[in-house]
Amino acid sequence: MRIIACFKAVPEEQDIVVEKDRQLNFDKAEWKIGTYDLNAIEAGKQLVEAEGGQLTGLAVGGTALDSSKLKKNILSRGLDDLYLVIDEKAENADTYQTAKLLEASIRKIGEFDLVLCGAGSSDLYAQQTGNQVGELLGVPVINSVNKITPQGDKVIVERVLEDSVQVLEVSLPAVLSVTSEINVPRIPGMKDILAAKKKPVTEFTVEDIGAAYVQPTSLVLSTQAPEQAERKLNILEGDSEETIDEFVKLFNEALK
Amino acid sequence: MDFRLTDEQELFVERIRDLMQKENWESYFAECDAKSEYPERFVKELADIGIDSLMLPEEYGGFDAGLVTVTAAWEELGRLGAPTYVLYQLPGFNTIIREGTEEQIEKIMALHGTGKQMWNSAITEPGAGSDVGSLQTTYTRKNGKVYLNGHKCFITSGAGVPYLVVMARDSENYNTFTEWFVDMSKPGIKIEKLPKLGLRMDSCCEIYFDNVELEEKDMFGKEGNGFNRVKEEFDFERFLVACTNYGVAYCAFEDAAKYANQRVQFGETIGRTQLIQEKFANMAIKLKNMRNMLYESAWKYDNGMMTSGEAAMCKYYCANAAFEVVDDAMQILGGVGVAGEHRVSRFWRDLRVDRISGGTDEMQILTAGRAVLKQYR
Repeated sequence: MRIIACFKAVPEEQDIVVEKDRQLNFDKAEWKIGTYDLNAIEAGKQLVEAEGGQLTGLAVGGTALDSSKLKKNILSRGLDDLYLVIDEKAENADTYQTAKLLEASIRKIGEFDLVLCGAGSSDLYAQQTGNQVGELLGVPVINSVNKITPQGDKVIVERVLEDSVQVLEVSLPAVLSVTSEINVPRIPGMKDILAAKKKPVTEFTVEDIGAAYVQPTSLVLSTQAPEQAERKLNILEGDSEETIDEFVKLFNEALK
Repeated sequence: MDFRLTDEQELFVERIRDLMQKENWESYFAECDAKSEYPERFVKELADIGIDSLMLPEEYGGFDAGLVTVTAAWEELGRLGAPTYVLYQLPGFNTIIREGTEEQIEKIMALHGTGKQMWNSAITEPGAGSDVGSLQTTYTRKNGKVYLNGHKCFITSGAGVPYLVVMARDSENYNTFTEWFVDMSKPGIKIEKLPKLGLRMDSCCEIYFDNVELEEKDMFGKEGNGFNRVKEEFDFERFLVACTNYGVAYCAFEDAAKYANQRVQFGETIGRTQLIQEKFANMAIKLKNMRNMLYESAWKYDNGMMTSGEAAMCKYYCANAAFEVVDDAMQILGGVGVAGEHRVSRFWRDLRVDRISGGTDEMQILTAGRAVLKQYR
């Protein structure tokens, strides 16, 4: 199987500082691999281990991707090779702009059986890119995938719905977005980390992949942290009718 | 001076963090400590990411990663509350490869990657602690066999290791000290586990050898070279004890800092009071000193420049500075630190032991003091 796992470089949440005016400051944030993307990579790795084949990593983004540590980090996760499209303008790309760049990159990389994405990026979590990439490539696309079982030139995928499990037969090539429950990404060891620097990395510019920027579908005017509310410090003890009535009363007041 | 770690070292430290965060290890450690059990499940997971291969040569599946890498790993593990003292034996693979026979290497390397305890050396006796020369355990050659007799005490890991390297003197030639690779399942060996103040996840034992029958091939290293072999090993062990102590102090420090910023008394967090601030300033200085000392020594080791004096200084300074930091952390944590199940009380017990085990404070001072003066002779 030829599998391409997509990922996004995102700022480490713990390093984001909320300023006094509720603006977010990313200056001290180290860039890491999106948490949910690790599930896509692990799913790809498990398929390649079981079926044989090749697992390629792919990301588009700004200069944050141009870090030797980030590259070694992603390659230590079991990828065979890595493709990056690095462009300053891609740093704040919306999902459709990202999907267009991914589509062009995938066409440039060549044949594939599966493109895997995470449930969403761990910064904006729009959960759109995977579906848009599938549409742009003109191949079957399924999200919320909780299990992938290869079967000849098809895969059987399971999606956990509210009260049932949907089982679908999907012809290949296809684009699948996996849930964060599909697996527990393994922790790479020293061996994987040392092997990472020997793996091939290909870097593309936007021109290399023959893509052009499309207009953003939306414009971010500002991102602010939620306003901090003072704690009410209402503590009720006991389980009597009166206590519960009092709790409901306070709760409803707070919601007003 | 470049204090940065390499990408690979940083990534390895990050993966240690991932491993430490993936489950509530603290409850497992607390349970192992209470039951005095080796945390094998944890050590196995560390082995899976390559901890036990860090110092191994490449031909044995290792990474030849050097002591700076080990220091960074120990620092992060300790900081996140892991008992790195149970890992002392892991660098022991190198000793076996260097000193052991093919058969001995094979036996020990079979345990590589399993997380199981493997071997330790047994030197201390009731009448011979730091004064190794007065030990009484003997080996006697008779009818082509070798018979081991004696009594060892305070033997770390004694109850958990399948093999012990036992220091003994030739009964025919009292000045010859030789080590023997002993399979602990042999008849004639009695093990008594001792209760211990701290470091309880690893055993501490009295071990009796009563005419334990060995073969010539069970000799460890060269005949008469026992002393020199362990002397080299001491430096390494002392350095690792120092790393462990530093990591523990770092953990207690962070626990106390979070608490001081959150605990409110008289209408403000206790961290806003000057007596608490003074403690943090001093704790932070000690941590910085330990860190700088350890990384410098590790760097020297990797470049073939570490001396016995250096290792002794690291152990003496870190065991004491770490104990002071943990003691201050306990004071800041107040009731939480001494009653209930806070890990700082375990750290406090552990560190108190480390001022004695692996060479007492006093022996470190002697070694360090002599080494300093030797430079000016």
